[in-house]
Amino acid sequence: MKKRTVKAAGAGALALVISAAGLAGCGSQDDGVVTIEMVQYKPEAVDVFEELEQRFNETHDDIRLVIESPNDAMTILKTRFIREDYPDIVAIGGDINYSNFLDANLFMDISDFDGLADIKQAYLDMDKELEYVPMDGVYAVPYMANAAGVLYNREMFEQYGWNIPTTWDEFIALCEEIQAEGVQPLYFGYRDVWTCLAPWNAMAVDLAPSDVCYQVNAGETTFAENYREVADKQKQLLDYAQNDPFAFSYNDACTAFARGESAMYVIGSYAVPQIRSVNPDIDIDSFVFPASNDPEENILNSGNDLQLSVMANCENKEAAYEVLRFLLEDENVQYYVDDQSAVPCKKGEFELASMLDSMKPYIEEGRLADYQDHHYPAEMSVDAMIQTYLLDDSETALDDFMERFDTEWVRYNRDVIRKVEEYTQQHPDSE
Amino acid sequence: MKNGKMKNDRQRTFMLITIPVVVLFFFFNTFPLLRGVYYSFTNFKGYGSYEIVGLRNYIDLFSDGRVGNSYLFTVKYAVVCTVIVNVVSLLLALGLNSRIKGKTVLRGIYFIPNILGGLVVGYIFSFFFTYILPYVGQALGIEAISSSMLSRESTAWFAIVLVGAWQSIAMNTIIYISGLQTVPEDVYEAGSIDGATGWRKFKSLTFPLIIPFFSINMVLCMKNFLMVFDQIMALTKGGPSQSTESISYLIYQNGINGGQFGFQSANAVVFFVVIVTISVLQLRFTGKKEEQL
Amino acid sequence: MMKKKLRSGEKVNWPITILLILGCLTVFFPLYMTIVIAFKQPSEMTNDIMGALGLPKSWRFSNFAEAMRVTDFWNSLANSLLLTVVTVVIAIVLHGIASYAIGRSMAKSKAYNFIYLYIVSGMFVPFAILMMPLIKQTAQLGIANRFGVIVLYVVFYMPINLMLYTGYLKNIPLALEEAARVDGATTWKTYWSIIFPVMKPMHATVAVLTAMAVWNDVMTPLVIMSGTGKNTLPLAQLNFQTQFGTNYNLAFASYLLALLPILLFYLFCQKHIINGVVNGAVK
Repeated sequence: MKKRTVKAAGAGALALVISAAGLAGCGSQDDGVVTIEMVQYKPEAVDVFEELEQRFNETHDDIRLVIESPNDAMTILKTRFIREDYPDIVAIGGDINYSNFLDANLFMDISDFDGLADIKQAYLDMDKELEYVPMDGVYAVPYMANAAGVLYNREMFEQYGWNIPTTWDEFIALCEEIQAEGVQPLYFGYRDVWTCLAPWNAMAVDLAPSDVCYQVNAGETTFAENYREVADKQKQLLDYAQNDPFAFSYNDACTAFARGESAMYVIGSYAVPQIRSVNPDIDIDSFVFPASNDPEENILNSGNDLQLSVMANCENKEAAYEVLRFLLEDENVQYYVDDQSAVPCKKGEFELASMLDSMKPYIEEGRLADYQDHHYPAEMSVDAMIQTYLLDDSETALDDFMERFDTEWVRYNRDVIRKVEEYTQQHPDSE
Repeated sequence: MKNGKMKNDRQRTFMLITIPVVVLFFFFNTFPLLRGVYYSFTNFKGYGSYEIVGLRNYIDLFSDGRVGNSYLFTVKYAVVCTVIVNVVSLLLALGLNSRIKGKTVLRGIYFIPNILGGLVVGYIFSFFFTYILPYVGQALGIEAISSSMLSRESTAWFAIVLVGAWQSIAMNTIIYISGLQTVPEDVYEAGSIDGATGWRKFKSLTFPLIIPFFSINMVLCMKNFLMVFDQIMALTKGGPSQSTESISYLIYQNGINGGQFGFQSANAVVFFVVIVTISVLQLRFTGKKEEQL
Repeated sequence: MMKKKLRSGEKVNWPITILLILGCLTVFFPLYMTIVIAFKQPSEMTNDIMGALGLPKSWRFSNFAEAMRVTDFWNSLANSLLLTVVTVVIAIVLHGIASYAIGRSMAKSKAYNFIYLYIVSGMFVPFAILMMPLIKQTAQLGIANRFGVIVLYVVFYMPINLMLYTGYLKNIPLALEEAARVDGATTWKTYWSIIFPVMKPMHATVAVLTAMAVWNDVMTPLVIMSGTGKNTLPLAQLNFQTQFGTNYNLAFASYLLALLPILLFYLFCQKHIINGVVNGAVK
């Protein structure tokens, strides 16, 4: 049937022309050289990985490393999984996609990988928390993290003599002070809904427990109990934002901050390249968002931005480990850190970008917690829910939002909650 | 005898052409669709293992406020856009088909919007809505447009209508123009003798002859606008306050990007039935007109 | 307003011409924005009206050169051209004759009427539901490549093209082909020698619409061809937008580059859409 239909399609005339297009061949092992294929999902880091790929292949005769950095890598990875055309290593973020892939048993247990000992415990823990139900083994090597909080224009701060706040009250006072000078304190790009999550995440790590999602799934608490303050404070920030923040996109906000139109910008370190593209000379530093009035509670919002997982059906585990070892060599880690202003997950002394200066103590002490949205299912669109809440002027806005959060969570996480229930029944003493 | 043979040849030829085409179509459209329908009864994420959940997705669908809103928004958008686009493009086609100077150049220019992809057009217009229109509004003191249309629920949907219409008018104009080509000159000559002019001539002579194209345009417009996606991605991402989440946007965002493939497949199946129903009704309606005239 | 549009006088209709020329502003204004932004550097982008409308500091083509480098322009262009040209040719040949077979039989045969509705209804199937099954199917058949993408296009655009062609055929009198039939020509021959040429304006329309759809399509090549190392222009243009930043200047430059070939193609087809062959033929 297939042959016939194809033939019909060409109507005789053009079949020849097109079949010349041919098939992309693939093989993974010739002349004793093992090929390891890695797909990494950060297109902005393509140059770094090209360099690393070259360095690796120059020093290894028995393994050939191929690193792909496709656009829209998540879609491409998913389509490849549908086709059962698996790479050997994937480098993705530690977010809900990782949870889902892990839940689909796509990754190999790599607890015997020697390099794990060098990774900071905080980042390894984050990956454990991303498991829907606690699993045995380790499935990812945290490689690079990013950090989110408040970016500020250091030059402007020095000029006016503003100080970095360590509590919520100080932060609000600072905003007032900036406003009094006639400067715009904050700028938001809330038209791109995902940016609504930046302040949210940065404050939630201070105000809510890091495993709140798991606790809710296990029926121990509700979001209304944990997120109320976060939501309330995020709305207060609007008083210090530009007029009509919902009219502007993420790009607009980056441009505004880059041009000195606002003193601060609540976003992650990932925004810095975009900001620098507008104004290469801007002196940016960043501080931890002080959402709590107890400075001890304020911790850095930092999550696994890039982590390495070996696919379950990788045939050359040793070769894959060799690639991981290579990528984790200090020199290569530093190379990546320099290029991407990233935070390494590996222990040791690395030179960090100057824009992380005020965050350094937190990074060194490991006082950090993952982005809470890494646990939110994408289809629940918490970002859009936050935008809806921020635009809602009614008296009951906060109550409605909290109620909606809890109801929708149950609806979107039905299968996960069931899994957690089953698990807690089987492991009654796990807590 | 000879006539019968010819008829046979005609029928045989038609069959020989039609069967492979239908087979091809079945294999790459209906067959995957059936598979999609099957997934709509599962909690499939798009990869990994899944379970059959029976009618759960369909039941959820009808109790899901977000899906309900997306239908309301999409239908409102599609109806308004279809009307605007058809009126404008019919006028434009008549204009471009009349005796004007620089016909080729003008037709080329009016076609440009259709060449640009939906995302590109969306980006251009988001600059327009964010920076230019509010500026104009403030300068002229027009309240309605002095802040961005995209940031208010009451206006965002219409901003998307404008962009959608701007882009689609070109294609519909082309179809109308090619329809007008089928109107033989002698029809007009006969009409002129009867003294038919202007609106009457259009209504009684031109329009009946291009009704097939009118119905094609109505159906295509409706279908394209019901499936609106690119403009949403580029202009609002479903905001403000989730007021512009179109059905396709939900299906894609949550089904492909999110892990709701099974549920959104159910949504897609329902959506498919809805569009087919709307289109059949449209075709019935214009079909009747066609017979009447 | 419509009064004079259709009169078959010889004189140029100036009021309409002027109206149409003024209307062009609605096209030129956004196009102007695209061009201006395409020439600017990211550092010239400001958050006000001048950022979108002001002229660039200099009219250098560096953005275009950079956009071509980033998208691997010539290779991507070649792939886009290949997909578009082959799909369009197949569409005209295959969809044309299929529409003839189905369209001419519809009136008398219930079965053909059903086939028509069956295929046309295919255009309402949301792509998202077909996507996953098609990814699997094309991979299993070993056509997860450019060939597979073309096959899918031929199927995707069959409904609309069938609708267009049969709509057009309704206005082509049966008398035309009956004359040929009386002369003893086979149906096959009648189609190619009489109907096919008469449908020229519709071929041009179908060509334009199909070409446009293929040229701008991202999703099909993205999910079907990923991993073959072949890019189309829209695929390569994804380079400009990551979640954490979009370079509009390069992106717009690249969009302008991608616009040119298809615009030329349209201008070429337009001639044939206009030259109504039917008028002469019917008389």
